[in-house]
Amino acid sequence: MRNLVFLFLLLSVTMQAQTKMSATEAQSLKTLVKRQALTTKTIVSDFTQYKHLDFLSNDIITKGKLAFKTPDLVKWEYTEPYKYAVLFKNETLFINDEGKKNQVDMGSNKLFKELNNLIINSIKGDMFDEDAFVITYFKTGKNSEVHFVPKDKNSSKYIETFQITFNPSGDVTEVKMMEPSGDYTKIVFSNKELNKPLPDAIFTH
Amino acid sequence: MRFLLISICLLLVSCASYPKKQHFQLDNSVSKSIENPYFSDETKDYVYKASIDVYDKHFGGLLIIKKINEQEHRVVFTTEMGNKLFDFTFTENHFQVNYILDELNRKMLINVLKNDFKVLVSDNLQVINTFSEANTNVFETSIYNKNHYYYFENKQLTQVVRTKNGKVKVQFLFSEINNHLADQIDIKHHNIKLDITLQSITQ
Repeated sequence: MRNLVFLFLLLSVTMQAQTKMSATEAQSLKTLVKRQALTTKTIVSDFTQYKHLDFLSNDIITKGKLAFKTPDLVKWEYTEPYKYAVLFKNETLFINDEGKKNQVDMGSNKLFKELNNLIINSIKGDMFDEDAFVITYFKTGKNSEVHFVPKDKNSSKYIETFQITFNPSGDVTEVKMMEPSGDYTKIVFSNKELNKPLPDAIFTH
Repeated sequence: MRFLLISICLLLVSCASYPKKQHFQLDNSVSKSIENPYFSDETKDYVYKASIDVYDKHFGGLLIIKKINEQEHRVVFTTEMGNKLFDFTFTENHFQVNYILDELNRKMLINVLKNDFKVLVSDNLQVINTFSEANTNVFETSIYNKNHYYYFENKQLTQVVRTKNGKVKVQFLFSEINNHLADQIDIKHHNIKLDITLQSITQ
């Protein structure tokens, strides 16, 4: 009997965990995030990445730092357990792999260009493009979770859904990229600072 | 006629088997099967930071290997940022591509990767011949009908060499070995410009 009560409790908690937003709620979240994105000039944040593969016993955990400066400078840097940095700058992707430097011209590579846009937009949370995605809005406790399903068949081969979690002030706290196989990459942001002056030196290769 | 003799001699020399060229001593008194312990623990998630140099291009990523059960291994390669590039299943007699990025979906590339990773995940091999030299035991085996020589120095697997017509085709070097885990693995191809370096970040 006690087990049954417990099960019921658990069930109601999990059911409560994610409810669909009303149209008005979705609209106000969208406005909040867009306003936040407009006033955001710089972002620095730590992140922890969880790579989930169903057949593994544990997720693969990597950690690093992110820096963003408007309009389109992004540095994505892994520090643990290896050093690897990518810098998106002037249509070029600069890679520093444990000191080995490399670059990719994104102008000639549609996939990288799309990737760049997606990264910038998902960091800011501003992916509310109804032409590119089927968008569904959920409430999870105090936070909001928005699912973006790419309409483009080519992108959806790699990523089936982007799931972005926002805190009550409209900041992105988590990005989860679901693959069609059910495997996923989850990135959780911490120590996020907005509009702190960032020297250009951070964005040199 | 003399030319013919010379060329026959040359032919004989160049066709000499790999062990003969290396001056190995045949010694079949030792074991009939050998083990490669480096990817044999089902409780472990093997994760390696990979560097691939193919011709003048350099790629990086993560190579993830898991022994699923007695007969099966999964081998997945992702970019550092987590995007999956390929996903293979190996069983004793079967190989399956679960996923591969369109840009990489080339039969030749898949074959090279299949042959190389099969060596990493084959953890129990039947010995055809055994040779010895100083403190090294060399075991001749066959993987996908290709000759492979396993070098054990002081009972530790340090090298696998794939040969064809007595010549080295691919070399697998295992180093920085701790508790059945090779922290560094180098795969060097001698017939094509392809080097794969693996550095363990197994957690």
